[in-house]
Amino acid sequence: MTAQVVDGTAAGTPARGRARDPMRGGVGRALARHWYAWAMCAPVVIVTLVLVGYPLARGIYLSLTDATEATMGRTIGMNVIPSTYEFVGLANYTAIVTSAEFLSRLGWTVVWTVACVALHYGIGLGLALLLNRPMRLRSLYRMLLVLPWAVPVFVSAFIWRYLLNGEFGVVNAMLRAVGFAGISWLDDPFWAKASVIAVNVWLGVPFMMLALLGGLQAIPRELYEAAEVDGASPWQRFRHITLPGLRPVSSTVVLLGTIWTFNQFPVIFLVTKGGPGGSSEILVTYAYRQAFEGIRNYSGSAAWGVLILALLVVMAVVYRRALRRAGEAW
Amino acid sequence: MSVTTARGARAATRSTRSRGASVALHAALVAASLVAAFPVAWLVLTSIKPRDAWQSTTIQIFDNPTLANYVQVLTQTAFPRWLFNSLLVAALTTVLGVAMSASTGYAVSRFRFPGFRSIMWMLLITQMFPVAILIVPIYNLLAGLGLINQFPGLVIAYLTSAVPFCAWMMKGYFDTVPVEIDEAGRVDGLTHFGTFWRLILPLSKPGLAVAAFYSFITAWAEVAYATAFMTGDDKYTLAVGLGQFVGQHKAEWGLLTASSVLIAAPAAVVFLLVQRHLVTGLTAGATKA
Amino acid sequence: MRRAISAAAAAAALALAVSACGGGTPEQPAATATGAAEPAGQVTWWDTSDATNEGPVFQELIKDFQAKYPKIKVNYVNVPFAEAQNKFKTAAQSGSGAPDVLRADVGWVAEFASLGYLAPLDGTPAVDKPEDFLASPASSGKFNGKTYAVPQVTDTLGLLYNKELLKKAGHDAPPKTFAELKQTALDVKSKTGADGLALNIDAYFLLPFIYGEGGDLLDVSTKKITVAAPQAVAGVKVVEDLITSGAATKPAIQDSYNNAQAAFKEGKVAMIFNGPWSNTDNLGGKVFKDDPDNFGIAPVPAGSVKAGAPTGGHDYAVYAGSQNLDASYLFVQFMDSAESQAKIAGKLGLLPTRQSAYTMPEAAANEMIGRWKEPMAAAVERPWIPEAGQLFQPLVEGYQKLAAGQQGAEPMLQGVAKAYQGLLKGWSL
Repeated sequence: MTAQVVDGTAAGTPARGRARDPMRGGVGRALARHWYAWAMCAPVVIVTLVLVGYPLARGIYLSLTDATEATMGRTIGMNVIPSTYEFVGLANYTAIVTSAEFLSRLGWTVVWTVACVALHYGIGLGLALLLNRPMRLRSLYRMLLVLPWAVPVFVSAFIWRYLLNGEFGVVNAMLRAVGFAGISWLDDPFWAKASVIAVNVWLGVPFMMLALLGGLQAIPRELYEAAEVDGASPWQRFRHITLPGLRPVSSTVVLLGTIWTFNQFPVIFLVTKGGPGGSSEILVTYAYRQAFEGIRNYSGSAAWGVLILALLVVMAVVYRRALRRAGEAW
Repeated sequence: MSVTTARGARAATRSTRSRGASVALHAALVAASLVAAFPVAWLVLTSIKPRDAWQSTTIQIFDNPTLANYVQVLTQTAFPRWLFNSLLVAALTTVLGVAMSASTGYAVSRFRFPGFRSIMWMLLITQMFPVAILIVPIYNLLAGLGLINQFPGLVIAYLTSAVPFCAWMMKGYFDTVPVEIDEAGRVDGLTHFGTFWRLILPLSKPGLAVAAFYSFITAWAEVAYATAFMTGDDKYTLAVGLGQFVGQHKAEWGLLTASSVLIAAPAAVVFLLVQRHLVTGLTAGATKA
Repeated sequence: MRRAISAAAAAAALALAVSACGGGTPEQPAATATGAAEPAGQVTWWDTSDATNEGPVFQELIKDFQAKYPKIKVNYVNVPFAEAQNKFKTAAQSGSGAPDVLRADVGWVAEFASLGYLAPLDGTPAVDKPEDFLASPASSGKFNGKTYAVPQVTDTLGLLYNKELLKKAGHDAPPKTFAELKQTALDVKSKTGADGLALNIDAYFLLPFIYGEGGDLLDVSTKKITVAAPQAVAGVKVVEDLITSGAATKPAIQDSYNNAQAAFKEGKVAMIFNGPWSNTDNLGGKVFKDDPDNFGIAPVPAGSVKAGAPTGGHDYAVYAGSQNLDASYLFVQFMDSAESQAKIAGKLGLLPTRQSAYTMPEAAANEMIGRWKEPMAAAVERPWIPEAGQLFQPLVEGYQKLAAGQQGAEPMLQGVAKAYQGLLKGWSL
């Protein structure tokens, strides 16, 4: 797809080709040739660099020190407090990585991410396949199914906390009405984990479904017709036409879904607050609590942030590389 | 566009499906729709019950329906003010977000320039940021710029979360627009920008609709930044104001549900307006990104 | 001297800070320093009280204040209690967006003061007739020998009970010991169909049991972590027994407070632990609305050593970076006067921190004030140290594990003690 390039001179020259020497004349020529592209990207780049790049750089620096809210110098009115923090190298990172909490949180975060993304994708694909047929009431179904996406996440989290309330929640009331005992959805470690996954799946399926539905509609009909003529069974058609046809959409939504789920803060924070006893805490919520409880540990929280980011970047690079080998990525 | 194709094929295909398969199909979709819509429906039902009715342990679909919760929310709190603030912030974020992501998306779709790959990575990595941890540094930065408790500060913060995804998706969308259109525009003497503005954008409405929807929802529903950055209650957005109804030591579910409905309704309206475009826009974006 | 310093500091802050308040009139403090002009300026107050039930009363007081000092403008901002601590710290450390005056939980003051966020109040109008303050609440505002906050309201936990249900179960008086508590709860359960006791799974609400058996979280004088000491273990075992014996209902862990509260108000449970802040809420409940005399308040039951519940409450503190220190001091002085306290007490049933306020007719008219007197007498002072804010999280996590049946009292408290060792450098076990 990189074939669609307007600027003829640059076509076929991948961005890597800029290794060509950037001397003054080169800069001038580059400016003349590329200023359009640069100008169009500039607002985004500037905002991102200032608001994300600066905190990132500062975070990396702080993560190598022992700065806390108490040791960071500041002047507040009549109170002048000098800086007393020092450079400590990688001590923050080793402390985190060797803590028992890190591994158990990472384990649950991986389970949470994999379970959520798999269910998002599976259910989303199932619904997209159903919706991709001509039928009555199609747009009504589509509208209802996408409803969870239209409701702000924090509102949904509150609703679910109410629905799952052990005593006053509707879910248990329904269970009791048909003769079962209520379940402590949010009060038992296992059920709390199951509940947050269920809530996140409820929230995330619509996006997946719509994206995959679009992907299905983009697969040329002729392929199916030809396969039918050749006597392919429905399963064979699904396996050899639908799935490959969806690959480009799938690869993107799975990558984004993984990133979003890994960092899904509001669901855990608002539904279970990480409880009971910290059992449903994922890395981001745990790191948040480390950072904001009591006297803030700036260096420690920065190290957590960098670590989480690093995990995701590594994952994305590996994933992208796998895709590029399949010839699908930029 | 593909929707119309499917519609054309409808009559032919439907007749080939057996009655049993039809029933199963509809049963599955009805079940899924129920699961999707039930929590939202229950929210609406709770909001029209009396203020303390949520404490009932039995299921009552209707229980003395009343609008008292809405009246209380609308008249006893600064709800109208918060609503206005939210609309303002969401509108600014949407307009700026769409403009920025469209121009960036177009540039990375059409041009190969030094920095192209870095920008693609930047757009991806920005989405990986654990926002919860960055709040304090961003707060300090905005404080330094004098943007705390100011709407522009909040809008800028929202742009950093909305624009990367939108730009990525817009790039994918623009990739599906044939490059011959650009060439034709150039032949007619349009500048790069003229081509983009007059030819490509009008063809990209579905993509723009998704970007608009995404930006709007981001700004409309965000809590963490708004809570930290808005320090005066005349500047609260709905999401922050809502926090006053449910806390650790208090559960005004009646008021909370009423205000939730009031918050979710505009989001749903925007959604309905753009939903026709969502599928096509999202696909093209996701397919080619 | 102090005034000169604060004025100079305010002027410096003015020169340095990028104001985000938007349209203030910040040049006033220098004028008041001379003592000649009428006090003026703008005071932003973050109130953390319940916005729907309590906020309006505080806003009325502000109106009175503005009538008295027409040149001082007060910005009332209601910040949800759960967010206030974080929000204030974020704003305070950056020097932008923080309020001039904060209603701070008694447990926050030492931490804020140790970080330099609060202005010392000794010798300012904010500390007015300090001898009138009750000793325990007043001590929450002191840090390293200086006064950083003055107490607004005080509270503690009591045993709240449904008189009718207790009577039906054959108990005319509320239980006085943990053993009686268990028996009463079981009797209620077997004789009335309602549940006996609902626990709120929260660290603060666990303290009466630990105190009752003579335990505490820390021993500040010897810098010792005592949360896993035998006394504390004995206290938590009492809770464990209440849960396993069925005397207490299976506690909800999420929304624990609200579920217990709702059950109590609906008459589904006969007894809960809670504080005076819940007066208004309780009296609006189904079983108390038409029969307020049915609502009983008693001191928390005693363990083998004593009856004790933690001192809680809220203080007024002034932000060190405020550009309107003098106006802020006056605001605190006004809001914390005996008259204002009496008004708050009369309207909301919150307990004053000034002795003189209790005898004022306005306060005395609210019978809740008198009924909380006895529980208040058993209040135990908490350690006012900067790390106090961090002590509850490990404890609540442990308590949740205990309530869910994952851990017994002893291993749970061992775990908490271990977490405290990480927080409190140089403390011994």
